[in-house]
Amino acid sequence: MGKTARFRVETCFDFLMFVLGIAIAVMSWGYGFGSFGRPGPGLYPFFIGAAIALFAFFILLSNLRSDTAKPVLDRNGAVTLILMTATFCLWIVAMPLLGYVVVTLLAAFAFCKIMKLEGWWKPLAVSGGTALFIYLLFDYWLYIDLPRGILG
Amino acid sequence: MEALDLLYNGFVNSLTPVNLVACFVGALIGTMVGVLPGLGPTATMALMLPFTMKFGVTTGLIMMTGVWYGAMYGGSTTSILVNIPGEAASVVTCLDGYQMCKKGRAGAALALVATGSFVAGTIGILGLQFFAPVLGNAALSFGPPEFLCFMIFAFVLLSNLSAEAPLKGALMIVFGLFLSTIGTNPMDSYPRFTFGTEKLMLGIDFLPIAMGLFGVTEILSIALEKYVKPQINKVRLRELYPSREEVRRSVYPMLRGSILGFFVGLLPGPCTVISTFVSYSLEKRISRNPGEFGHGAVEGVVGPESANNSAVMGSMVPLLTLGIPFAAPSAIMLAGLRMHNVEPGPMLFTTHPDVFWTFIAAMYLGNIMLLVLNLPLVGAFARIAAIRPQILMPIISLICLVGVYSVRNSIFDVWVMIVAGVVGLFLRKWKFPIAPFIIGVVLGPTTENSLRQTLLMFRGDVSLVADRPISITLLALAAAFLAFKFAAPLFGKKFPLKIEEDSKL
Repeated sequence: MGKTARFRVETCFDFLMFVLGIAIAVMSWGYGFGSFGRPGPGLYPFFIGAAIALFAFFILLSNLRSDTAKPVLDRNGAVTLILMTATFCLWIVAMPLLGYVVVTLLAAFAFCKIMKLEGWWKPLAVSGGTALFIYLLFDYWLYIDLPRGILG
Repeated sequence: MEALDLLYNGFVNSLTPVNLVACFVGALIGTMVGVLPGLGPTATMALMLPFTMKFGVTTGLIMMTGVWYGAMYGGSTTSILVNIPGEAASVVTCLDGYQMCKKGRAGAALALVATGSFVAGTIGILGLQFFAPVLGNAALSFGPPEFLCFMIFAFVLLSNLSAEAPLKGALMIVFGLFLSTIGTNPMDSYPRFTFGTEKLMLGIDFLPIAMGLFGVTEILSIALEKYVKPQINKVRLRELYPSREEVRRSVYPMLRGSILGFFVGLLPGPCTVISTFVSYSLEKRISRNPGEFGHGAVEGVVGPESANNSAVMGSMVPLLTLGIPFAAPSAIMLAGLRMHNVEPGPMLFTTHPDVFWTFIAAMYLGNIMLLVLNLPLVGAFARIAAIRPQILMPIISLICLVGVYSVRNSIFDVWVMIVAGVVGLFLRKWKFPIAPFIIGVVLGPTTENSLRQTLLMFRGDVSLVADRPISITLLALAAAFLAFKFAAPLFGKKFPLKIEEDSKL
């Protein structure tokens, strides 16, 4: 079961890198390879693409022959990863609208709960403290103008 | 004499309140980061890049080196007291440091390590002060072919020393080089891999990639781990005195580790980590009681800890003299210098001598600060290790998000950071090393410029490289290294310097 999980994801990644390498080389050729005497904008990335394809191909081969396997993430790990990433993404989407202080407060609370900080008072204290610290650091000490959203 | 005058000016410049505070803050944060298992110096330096923008280049450089340096100091604290290395370069310290702690000699071990780190730091700075200008002058004769060959040499060593599988290291380097080609090519203003998107015209900024790969990846990685509360052994101030015998046994390992670490620092790869392993095996080999190693030998603690501190200074030599970072933290430093429009390299000593000498002077001061900080506050620092990641990681996550956004007020950069963070997590799980990737990103433009200038110089005839002694020597060294690497298993020998890159480089 574990072997299949690693095989599929990592092998897919290696294959993706191989395809990406070829795509880079093809696109670079389109930019103009030039010649060794008069290199065009595509010469350098062409060789980079070719090198990516070559290395990825050999890694792919060795990966296919490998029988050591361990699942990359278990079910709980996958859920945590999805929730953490979703919180990061929500911060990005909501920050320009609601302002960085409010969104930082909410995101810090969400991170605390995702990371299983027990109870309500501790997560509230951590998120409140984080929002205050971020405000003091960026707004008060560093004078960086960040979106304030609904707080104007 | 001129160097002494410059150093004196450096001290005058570094003794400004801003630089002293930067030095202290860097050293303090570095020590805390070193103590905390999880965040490493690279991640912290990447996190601090946006803040250094507010200050001058020298202040920024001092602060970041303070972090790196402080992390080397602090890393040993948890290795000795908790048997958990605060960062990768302190793994070896656990072997004998914790055994000393179990014998009730934790205080002595910590005091000797702090003294050793101070001595090594001073020797490292002296080495940097002596070698950097000499090499910088020598590097003035470097043309594009020499730079290109030097980078090929560095890439070969880096891919082999940083990864369990050298091919993975090599793939990461070329992928980093590719990422640096995205955007308008400065040589001919030709847009590449932009797909017509305006956002990609200026390329992908280094900072969000670095913060994603080192900061967000670390956060996600810690979030997925099960937290086990460490048992911290208490140490009191009066217990810090080592016995006369322990002092006597520490002197030579301290000096050997300092000199060895500095030279290992000149090599590409995770130099601080490698230096500790090399120093430990050296001390064990020359010891009269090798059987004591692993059971609390003071030489096994002091030697490696001295080595990792001077390796930091050693790795500054290629960065400052050639503008080529050999390790992930120095790649972050290069990015920081570039953000301030300072390009390190041979010209640094003529165009910005003040930067170099202020930095040297500040390092002397920082070294003293670290000694003063570390000896009396060791107990307090050890308690930091008990802070739960559930409290620390949300704060760091938000600093990453707001920090990256604040540099260019760009939401796109924040997306890049998150994508880099998630990809970095999987790369780490599959044992793809991150350091070669980030060095590839930083060195990409220089590599391309050197390649194209070399080809133009030689009118396409690459065989002319053979007429350049430095270039051909560097290529021969790279070829010899690869030949040795491939041939060694055939003769049943294991390559001794193959060290798996730790997640917290």
